[in-house]
Amino acid sequence: MNGTPHVLNRILIGILGLKLLAIGILLMLLATVPAVGRWWQGWSTGLWEHAKYLSEQTRIPGREESWLWIAAAAVLVVLIVLMVAWVSQQGKGRANLIVSEYDDARTPGDVNIGGNLAEQALKAALAERADLAGVTVATYEVNGRPGLRVRVQPRQGVSPHLLAADVSRLVEALDLVVGRKTPVLIHIGAGARTRFSKAERVR
Amino acid sequence: MSHAQTPHARRSHPDRGHPDTLHAADTADGDTPGAPAPGTSDLGDRIDVGLQRILKRETRSSRAGMAGLAAALVIAACVYALLESALRAIGQPPWLIDPQTAAERLTALPGGTSPLLLGALGGVVAMVGLIFFLNAVLPGRKSRHLLRDPRAGVVVDDEVIASALARAARTAANVTQEQVMVVVSQRLVVVNVRPTSGVPLREERILAAVEDELQRMAPSPMPSVRVNVATSGVIGA
Repeated sequence: MNGTPHVLNRILIGILGLKLLAIGILLMLLATVPAVGRWWQGWSTGLWEHAKYLSEQTRIPGREESWLWIAAAAVLVVLIVLMVAWVSQQGKGRANLIVSEYDDARTPGDVNIGGNLAEQALKAALAERADLAGVTVATYEVNGRPGLRVRVQPRQGVSPHLLAADVSRLVEALDLVVGRKTPVLIHIGAGARTRFSKAERVR
Repeated sequence: MSHAQTPHARRSHPDRGHPDTLHAADTADGDTPGAPAPGTSDLGDRIDVGLQRILKRETRSSRAGMAGLAAALVIAACVYALLESALRAIGQPPWLIDPQTAAERLTALPGGTSPLLLGALGGVVAMVGLIFFLNAVLPGRKSRHLLRDPRAGVVVDDEVIASALARAARTAANVTQEQVMVVVSQRLVVVNVRPTSGVPLREERILAAVEDELQRMAPSPMPSVRVNVATSGVIGA
C-alpha cells in the first residue's frame, strides 16, 4: 500500500546481481582456465595503458595529477547520493489527512480531516474484541489520494471472512461519519503475537 | 481562501453546475445520502481501479530489504574507492591499497594469487550476484490470498487461512489442536490429521468440513483440498 517503487527495485537489484554474477564467473574462470587468463591479461593491460595515456593527456596545468581523478570522485559522490535517494524511496507514502476539501458553494473555507480520526476510531472499535491480538491502522497516499490500511492480527482459528466482514462494516460506518469514501485495504495477517497466543475457541 | 498546507485539496469550481444532482444514481451506492460532494461522480470507479492496483502490489514482494542491502553494498564500495583516491590525491599513503597498484595487480590477475583463493572468491561473488538476480527476476509472490468484500480490499496471510481451516478440521474430526496440521499454498490445501489411537476417523467428514469453510471464505485463487489421515495414531490425546 505504501509507495515503495517495485519496478525500480527489481531493475536495480537485477543490474547489481548481473554485474556481481559476471565478476564472480570471470574470477572463477581466471582461476581455472589458463586460456582465459591469457586473454584477460592482454585485454586488461591494453585497457590500463589506454587509461594511463588518457590521464597523461588530462593533466591539470602545473600539477602532476590528472583531473580525471576529480571527475571519478564526483561520479562516485553522485552514485552515493543516488543510492541514498533510492533507499529513502522505500516504504514512503504516509499521509496525514484522509479528507481535504475546498468547496465554497456550501461551506466557506476548507474541510480537513486528519488520518488520526480514522485510525483512532477503527482502533477503538476493534480494541475490545477478544479474537484479535493486534490492530494497526495507518493512512497512506495512493495515487495522490489518501487511503486507509487496516492490519488486524487474529488469534488462531478465527475465520478471516467473518472478521473481514466485521471490519468492512466498521469502515462503512466510518464512511458515514467522514462523509467520504476512501480506499481501504484490510490486511488480515499473522505474526509472532498470533503464533504463540492460544487458539480462539469461543466467540 | 485555501491554505498553503493543503496541497492535495481537490478544487472544484462552484459555477460548474451541481454534479451531485446530475450523478445521483452513480453515487447512490457510494456516498452517504446526506453529504454528497461535488466531483464524486467517478469516485467509485477510481476507488476500484486504485484498489485493484493496491491488491496487486500487496500480493507481491516489494523487495525493499534487498534494495536496502544492494544500496548499502554499492555505497560501501563507493566510499572505499573515494577514500583511496582521496588519499592518493592529497599524497598520503594508502589505507589498504593504492588505486594504481590495485589496477596493475588486476591486470596481472591469474598470477600473484593462489588459484584456490581466486576461485573461492569468484564463487562467493557469483553466488551473491545470483541471489540478487533471482530475487529481481522471480515473481516474488507473497503467500497471501484475496477475499471478496463489497467495500474494502481484503488480503489474508495464508497462515490465517490455515489456522481457520485447522479449526474446522479439528472440530469435524474431534481431535486436539496438535493432531491437525494444515499447509496452505497458492492452489492447494493439505490437511494432515493424526487420529487418536483406537478412535476411527472419517476422512470424508473432515474433507466436507474443510471444503465448507473454504467455500464460505472464498479466497482467490481458490485452492483445492487434500486430506491425509496418518496411519499411526496418537495415544492419550
